[in-house]
Amino acid sequence: MQGVLYDFTGLIQSIDAVFRASMSDLWATVLEYAIIGIIYLVIYALIGLFLVYAERKVCAFIQVRLGPNRVGPKGFFQTIADFIKLLLKENIKIKNADGVLFNLAPFIVIVASFLTFGTVPFAKGLQGIDLNIGVFFIMAVSSMGVVGILLGGWSSNSKYSLIGAMRSGAQIVSYELSVGLSLVTMVILTGTMQLSQIIELQSDGWFIFKGHIPALISLIIMMIASTAEINRGPFDLAEAESELTAGYHTEYSGIKFAFFYLSEYMNMFVVSALVATVFFGGWMPLHIGSWQAFNHIMDFIPPIIWFILKSFALMYVIMLFKWTFPRLRIDQLLKLEWQYLLPISLFNVLLMAFVVYMKWYF
Amino acid sequence: MEIAASKVIFYIIAAAILFFALLSVTSKRILRAATYLFIVLISTAALYFLLNYQFLGAVQIALYAGGIVVMIIFSILLTSHAGQKFEPVSRLKFFASLLAVLVGWALSLWVILSHPFVASSKEAVEVNMDSIGKALLSYDRNGYVLVFEVISILLLAAMIGAIVISKKQPGDGETNPDNSKTSK
Amino acid sequence: MSTQILIPFFITAVFLVAAGITLAYMLSPKSFNLQKQEPYECGIPTVGVTWLQFNVGYYTFALLFLIFDVETVFLFPWAVVMKQIGLVGLVEILIFFFILVLGLAYAWKKHALVWQ
Repeated sequence: MQGVLYDFTGLIQSIDAVFRASMSDLWATVLEYAIIGIIYLVIYALIGLFLVYAERKVCAFIQVRLGPNRVGPKGFFQTIADFIKLLLKENIKIKNADGVLFNLAPFIVIVASFLTFGTVPFAKGLQGIDLNIGVFFIMAVSSMGVVGILLGGWSSNSKYSLIGAMRSGAQIVSYELSVGLSLVTMVILTGTMQLSQIIELQSDGWFIFKGHIPALISLIIMMIASTAEINRGPFDLAEAESELTAGYHTEYSGIKFAFFYLSEYMNMFVVSALVATVFFGGWMPLHIGSWQAFNHIMDFIPPIIWFILKSFALMYVIMLFKWTFPRLRIDQLLKLEWQYLLPISLFNVLLMAFVVYMKWYF
Repeated sequence: MEIAASKVIFYIIAAAILFFALLSVTSKRILRAATYLFIVLISTAALYFLLNYQFLGAVQIALYAGGIVVMIIFSILLTSHAGQKFEPVSRLKFFASLLAVLVGWALSLWVILSHPFVASSKEAVEVNMDSIGKALLSYDRNGYVLVFEVISILLLAAMIGAIVISKKQPGDGETNPDNSKTSK
Repeated sequence: MSTQILIPFFITAVFLVAAGITLAYMLSPKSFNLQKQEPYECGIPTVGVTWLQFNVGYYTFALLFLIFDVETVFLFPWAVVMKQIGLVGLVEILIFFFILVLGLAYAWKKHALVWQ
């Protein structure tokens, strides 16, 4: 399988070579970083806009409505119109709000979500940040976002914001444990934390098949816990609109609100991409052991298509969660994490260690 | 060129650490002080990343920025005066703390300047996870397995301490204006 | 050095928010209205201070989270090499977990894991 659509390593290396040949090393690096920044900025914004549209369409589908259908074909440009509207709105300064923290909060939230977005492996060679601590880096950086939420809620000088922020703080930190432990479970099986290596190891079968029972438990825990960690329904009691108006971003208006909203949707994308990478092989096509012919046919579909299909399928599942289950109360939420998910994931780590020790994996 | 660039980055990070550390101690609002502390901790993680200590940097972010700062914010909101500004300190206190700062500063400067730092010519190495994990779990001379196991006892003690401190005794009967109304 | 790639991502993220806020500041209409600045409260003025004293429950969970977070940090290096070192790793983690599960059991017994 040669060709640029299947392996981007060569293309990127040749671009790099051209730059380094025509100018000094420092300027080549600066220019490359600028290009990386611009490309990722555009992709970030485009995926965010598309996800908001997709969410509204999925919601409409479940509630037997049409959803947005006026701006553009099937309402496709609705979110762009929404974005322009938000950009043109006045940024209201709240009385007695802590201005510094109020403005700092969107920065923290966006930086955390953008850095994790940079680690997403779209295809072979198409990955911005590929550290050898990959999985742990995503976990660490995404935990920064909660500080932005707490500061935003606190500095707004509104009781709704403050209660929403406190709830989502307690919720995010609690569920982060289960996300971390289910990732530990998978790292036992992979033996590496670098995302690109994790994908390479799945060339003869995805880890969900290789790790069978413990991997399946880990996947279920991961899906539940990460849905809670990104503050989405049924765990969206931080912004329970019936009681708290809009949670921690009640007082944010215009573009600052848009940033909170964008980071929520992009966190959903990053989570789905992470699950797709660790459990379902990322951009790796569906390969089954030694079925050469079958593997060969699967290889014809470009990896980037595989990746997009997998992560969007997972996002569809997360969206279905939101529109299917009723919202939990905070005591139920914490009980679910600390009395069910945490003990199960601790046990699952041991189970996976035992399976790996007995070599019962494929 | 590469060395010069990392030097510039180092000075930017170091300046950020010093600046926000100063703001953190001088700020009159307690939550702002916590936020500046958060930025200092993140910048320290950036220093680790600059040295290519990836695991250490990520641990710094996960534990300090994502864990301890959140706990500090929660404990600030536990007090009843979270929104207040601090009173300006009295003149006596100001000069006493200034003296303490100067003495501490002179002492650490003296220690740093009297230590002969030998510049290493070695290339910065990438510490991979394999060697960290093996060192952590090996029980030979340079292994840390005893530390690894003792940490679990430390964590156990911390957990019991946390529960003993934060659980209210039966019969305290305090009423907190929390959001229990909505969550009953 | 692979970690240098973090720089463009950090700068771009800061640029995104800064540019968005600046652009909105230039484009958006501005009007002065004393009531507009009031924090939201269903149309009536807010009563009392916003920054209330909160339930200790949040703090308990933050403390417990921190302890388990430290534990997770130590589990990652172990998990990476578990496949290579086999039985030794399994025994070591069994001891580690046994002590921690004692703590979890204590918390459970003292009802620290439920919201009150």
